[in-house]
Amino acid sequence: MTAGPDCYRAARTGGLAPALESLTAALLPGALPYGPAGHAVTTATVAASATHAWFDGVRHDREPEGERTPAVAAVPGGPVLILRRAAPTAVGRPSAVPHHAWLSGLAWLRLGLSEALRLSCMDYLGGRRVGATATLLHQQLVKGTVAEAVAVHLEAHAVLRALDGEASGAAERVHRLITGADRELVRLLGASGYVTGGVGQVADASELLADAYCRQEPPC
Amino acid sequence: MLSPGDASLHRLRGQMREWGADFRDRALELDRDPRTIRRCLDLPAVRFLAAMGVPRRYRRPELIDGHAFDGATAVERVVVMEELARADVGMLVSAPGPLLAGVLVQVTGDERQREWFYERVLDRPLWTCFALTEPDHGSDAASLRTSLTRRPDGGAVLRGAKRYVGNAVRAQVAAVFGRTGASMLGIGAALVETSTPGFHAEVIDTIGLRGACLSAVRLDDVEVPAGMVLGQHLSPSRRGVWAFTRTFNLLRPGVAAIALGIARGAYEYLLASRRLWTRGEQHHLDRLRRDLDGTRALVLSAAEAVDAEPGEGHLASAAKLRAVRLAEHATDLACALLGPGARLDHPLLDKMVRDARGMEFVEGTSNMQRLTIFHSVLSGRLDRSLSIRRSRAAAPSRR
Repeated sequence: MTAGPDCYRAARTGGLAPALESLTAALLPGALPYGPAGHAVTTATVAASATHAWFDGVRHDREPEGERTPAVAAVPGGPVLILRRAAPTAVGRPSAVPHHAWLSGLAWLRLGLSEALRLSCMDYLGGRRVGATATLLHQQLVKGTVAEAVAVHLEAHAVLRALDGEASGAAERVHRLITGADRELVRLLGASGYVTGGVGQVADASELLADAYCRQEPPC
Repeated sequence: MLSPGDASLHRLRGQMREWGADFRDRALELDRDPRTIRRCLDLPAVRFLAAMGVPRRYRRPELIDGHAFDGATAVERVVVMEELARADVGMLVSAPGPLLAGVLVQVTGDERQREWFYERVLDRPLWTCFALTEPDHGSDAASLRTSLTRRPDGGAVLRGAKRYVGNAVRAQVAAVFGRTGASMLGIGAALVETSTPGFHAEVIDTIGLRGACLSAVRLDDVEVPAGMVLGQHLSPSRRGVWAFTRTFNLLRPGVAAIALGIARGAYEYLLASRRLWTRGEQHHLDRLRRDLDGTRALVLSAAEAVDAEPGEGHLASAAKLRAVRLAEHATDLACALLGPGARLDHPLLDKMVRDARGMEFVEGTSNMQRLTIFHSVLSGRLDRSLSIRRSRAAAPSRR
């Protein structure tokens, strides 16, 4: 199955919105994916074209009158919608795509975003001077932080490539690791990581994905 | 070459798990008296370790459930080392065998040196040691001061001091690193009999990993016979740092596996010590179990990577970094969940806590691993290897 690696690539090079569209098209075509408590992080394109709702592994009809859009995140790669709906009133049909498959796909996606964040940090810190010649990137503490994040990324790759069957616990753990790595990387950006529309907000939106779709592990 | 998904590796894991019970039984005795290992040479796991790494062209490897394992690949070694360290890391590191020196001989030895070394290993239980680290500048190859002075007859003389060398006091054969010249190319290694005049070793008393008998070594004009300087058949650029980097890359997943084994040992000790857990405690246990599984995936992935390309060490560094931290976390969590006085009431757990701390510096501290990872990022090697692995991931899975 290539949905995960494909959306990882899309996230790393194109950003959150194209990656979400790639993953949804591959795993849940025509669906608006909601997490266990009725939250969705998606794009306007997916929302507009969805013919049904996927509610934590169960297929339901859409209930447009119950859907709200409490927030929109304008991030590089395109805006992302945060949707909310009440729990379905009718009994749905089990989807061919279970909860853990979507969660694994999202973990691949977030891994791609996290690696793009690491590259952004290196670009930023490589351009910041300390004294006459050195750059922030070459400070030992910075090197250590980058290396820690990379070690997490490598572990995430190893786990996601080895995932098979019912492994939502392992996928949720990868989400936790990525959130931790993202937070450390964003700290390297100082105040520039706190500006809306920048890479810090992408990391925040990435955390919202974990918040919306993970069941067991807290987001970090 | 076996891959992590092969069923035969599960058999190897199962056998090591079974043999590891002998290690656990003797763990505390060995911790008190490291000479205990001499009374354990007939244990199946010790016999296996005594020849682990000797390629099958030099011997007929032991059959485990019908499969021959020689331990010559990093993937096999990480399975063996995780399971035996889970039982007791002290017994694992005190056992005779070619391990670190064997990998160095495999990478840099010529045919005659390999034959000599493997014959010695197979003849009777042979302890070996790997003398790189020096007082004051650790294992930084660039700062190496021990001299390896070549003589016209092809031999050499070793002069200097080494420190924190595992098993040096009990080793019969040592692989010793020294400087042959001032440049980075002027770094070499030689095989010497520790009975050679001028080779002195004494134990350094340590908090944990006592089975390893970490030693201080003094080299007072130790004669290296002709033909025992490693790597002479290689081009000068492939004798020194190039060869040693590959050796360490091949070894590092095994060190990570030892740390992972300690972590798993602590987790299983915890489960065996108490039956009932609060919901919060159960959450911590579940999390630790997933951490163990995740780090195992990384360690196996690192082993597979160095078996495929020994020059690429960043995954191995990541594995060591993550596994060492996990070993400390798992042992600390076990103490916390077993309550006040846990280390005093549970001597095996206390030993695991002490051993876990020792893994921090074995084969490079965490800071050294971070620097290795960072340099692979900066040089672009990391991103190149990720794209290769992505292509493999897109291919039909072998698992």
